[in-house]
Amino acid sequence: MQASPRAKRQPAWHMLASEFMDATLNEKGPGEFDPSFIITKLGAKVNRVIVAGLLERLEIRETANGSTLYQGQLRDPSGQHYFSVGDYASESMRELAMTLTERIEAGEPELVLMVAKARWYQTEEGAVYTSLRPEEACIIDGKTYANWLTRACQGTIDRMNALSASLELEPTEQAYASSDSIPANLVDGLVTSRNHYGEIDLEQYKLNVMQALDIAEGKMANATKPVPTLNLSSADEDENETEDSSDASNLEECALSIIRQLDQGDGVDFDAVLSNANARGFSRQDSEAMLDELSERGVIHEPRFGWFKIVE
Amino acid sequence: MSDGQFDTYITAVQKECPDTDSETIAAAFLKYQEDFKIPPQDSMRSIIRSLNSSKSVPSTRSSGSSSSKPRAAKKVERLSELKADDKEIEIEVEIISHNMREQTIRGEQKQIAFGLLEDNPWAENGDKNRWEYKDWAPSPNLAPGSIVRLEGVSVNEYQGKMSLNINQSSRVVVIREGTRAIVAPGEAQDIATLPSDGYVCVVGRVLSSREDQIHKKDGSGSIDIVRGRLADESGTIGFLSWESFEHEVGALIKIEGAQVRTFRDTPELNFGRTTKVELFHDKNFADTETLSEQTVLTISDLRDGSRDIDAVVQITEWAKRTFTRDGVEKYLWSGQIADPTGRCRMSAWEDLPIDENNLPLTVRLKGVRVRAWQGIPDITVDNAAQVEILEKSPWDEGIDFSTQTVEVALNELATGASRVGVSTEAIVVSVREDSGFIQRCTECRRVLRDGHCATHDANAGNTDVRMRLVIDDGVASMSLLINKEGSLGLLAMTEDELSTQISSNGQLDFVQTLRSKMLGRNIRASGRTIVDEQGGMMLADNAELVEEDAVMKATEIRAQWGG
Repeated sequence: MQASPRAKRQPAWHMLASEFMDATLNEKGPGEFDPSFIITKLGAKVNRVIVAGLLERLEIRETANGSTLYQGQLRDPSGQHYFSVGDYASESMRELAMTLTERIEAGEPELVLMVAKARWYQTEEGAVYTSLRPEEACIIDGKTYANWLTRACQGTIDRMNALSASLELEPTEQAYASSDSIPANLVDGLVTSRNHYGEIDLEQYKLNVMQALDIAEGKMANATKPVPTLNLSSADEDENETEDSSDASNLEECALSIIRQLDQGDGVDFDAVLSNANARGFSRQDSEAMLDELSERGVIHEPRFGWFKIVE
Repeated sequence: MSDGQFDTYITAVQKECPDTDSETIAAAFLKYQEDFKIPPQDSMRSIIRSLNSSKSVPSTRSSGSSSSKPRAAKKVERLSELKADDKEIEIEVEIISHNMREQTIRGEQKQIAFGLLEDNPWAENGDKNRWEYKDWAPSPNLAPGSIVRLEGVSVNEYQGKMSLNINQSSRVVVIREGTRAIVAPGEAQDIATLPSDGYVCVVGRVLSSREDQIHKKDGSGSIDIVRGRLADESGTIGFLSWESFEHEVGALIKIEGAQVRTFRDTPELNFGRTTKVELFHDKNFADTETLSEQTVLTISDLRDGSRDIDAVVQITEWAKRTFTRDGVEKYLWSGQIADPTGRCRMSAWEDLPIDENNLPLTVRLKGVRVRAWQGIPDITVDNAAQVEILEKSPWDEGIDFSTQTVEVALNELATGASRVGVSTEAIVVSVREDSGFIQRCTECRRVLRDGHCATHDANAGNTDVRMRLVIDDGVASMSLLINKEGSLGLLAMTEDELSTQISSNGQLDFVQTLRSKMLGRNIRASGRTIVDEQGGMMLADNAELVEEDAVMKATEIRAQWGG
């Protein structure tokens, strides 16, 4: 019954790429101008984010209707964001995209920070992808990046703590709102998240945070010591995309054979793939990442959410 | 330089770029790590890319399309499928709100229910539409939060707005019971949790009550009303009764069917013809004296439109102003006041026993009201009896409130009342493109657009400098306007230097420079705030970027996390 105030500017969440990319749920109010949100597994109800990382790719594209579109990828220690800058962006944003494209082509690496709107789309098969539309961005130095990392880590930790606290409670707004361990801005998103995502494995996010904190602390500089540093070796383990990783290709074969064997026409559900792969010695996280990768490469598709089929 | 730390990565890169020697690759890895804090597993792709920059396969991502399904006219899934003359409709909806009202229909008093419903109740997300509904024979099955199937309802169109009528012959089938808090009619709510509009039931003690008159704007007469204030242990609220109200101060009453209306920023209870007011008996209900303490507000609590409030404040400036209205010379006193939570203004329409040369002075104000001018609260004293001069101030004598700045969290500023003398810290999330030089109207100081003022038309204008940012603490955001002095201080530039920079590199380049300097950084700003329904704005005369030590912070976060 609260009078609905005019839509106020939505706050920006400091967020690592893994949390944003994992999200498959969106929400939009009934009104034409109501903001739309992406709800992450950790319960952030995101309309706007503030992200940073290494600009890994940025290319100009001509779209069907003749307008220009810049598409790029921004990588942080946990994963990458896809973003696009179109004709709808401000003049300054488009100009910056142009400058950055030239730098990338010239092979000059840049660290970039951006404030961006969260976008999502669903393929006809039902798979949901998140992406970003930067509103404003700038080139930053390592120091600003490190500060951003600490804020993104703090935010992720706060959300993980709230999520853990929520597991003790009935998944209702009342129960969450009256808990001291759940900040008010997470109540709504956590209820939705828990009803949608079911059980959530925090292990990957914890690894991401640990590695990001290592980088912010400058522990990489200590890497000159003979002892291999934790952040590099732990990162190795979840590096499935590495070409020379034989584990990864085994897992790929394994995942595909599971899907092939178990598919009775409707595809194979997410959990069945993960449990079967787990029985053959692959961790659930690795398998999950592999499913993402295979989907992205177009080897498998999701005819409906959480069910996988091999593309014939 | 390479001492083996990148070896496995160098091998991997060489697989992709066989012509490149390992020294070059090692140097690239080191550069990423040292200059950009990018570990090798993350920089590898970029290095491979730049080494054979000609081959790159952009990933293709197709956008999806939503499908819509047409349905038969009577049984529908979505409200949008309905036309203005549809009858005998069957639809499943979620009841969002449910209120009762008494209405006289053809001379007969009838209870009807009304509220909002929402279609597409089973989708967890996605498109949902809300319509109003009226239930002419209130069904006990309608409760907020429940999902129901409505059978035999009809569309009502009034002035282009569509709503649903649930008729006497309609059927309401509960599919899922309401999960939200249901306030049954007749069950009292705490004053502090009252909605900002709607019909409510309250039990409270009368703290004040006085007769008043409202003069009709067209001069056709006046209406007798009663104004007052009601309290329970959770808070207090003003009331306005359009009917006679004879309960005395101190009486405990139960009010059913009162309407909450929000006047300026302040909710108020309205008692009308259909409101039921009766004495209530509860020996344990807090007494008048205890409840009265809640009406003592601090300056940070003041809201435009508040009435019958008490406060203890320090007067720091006091001066008489005269003006002429309708040919008659009148005067009022006004000045600055402060307390430990902030500063604001006060005006008095009668002479007060205050010596303007002997300030500061602490006073207790009783039953005063609040107006706001340009967002700054202004306490209005209507008669001298409302002011009591205190011998001693309740605060430390040494504090000079006239220059103090109170540190307030951004979230609190954005959701609270307008305040003076505050400072806050938050992240810069936007640098607006009109930061820099602006032209102000010579009459009213408003910013000129294309050399025109909204009220004073074409105008030569005066040049000014300001920065327009948006700051954000992850929960709330606010516009931050920094004045000339503050902007130049933040940029560490003189006006001439700024002018030279912009005229040689252009406005866009200047804004991009500002973004590189400030976007994503922590800023501390102080000044005053204006908060209205469109959001908050801080007018700052001072701002500085906060230096942070990421290494220390990361270590701290890790320690707290582990513990």
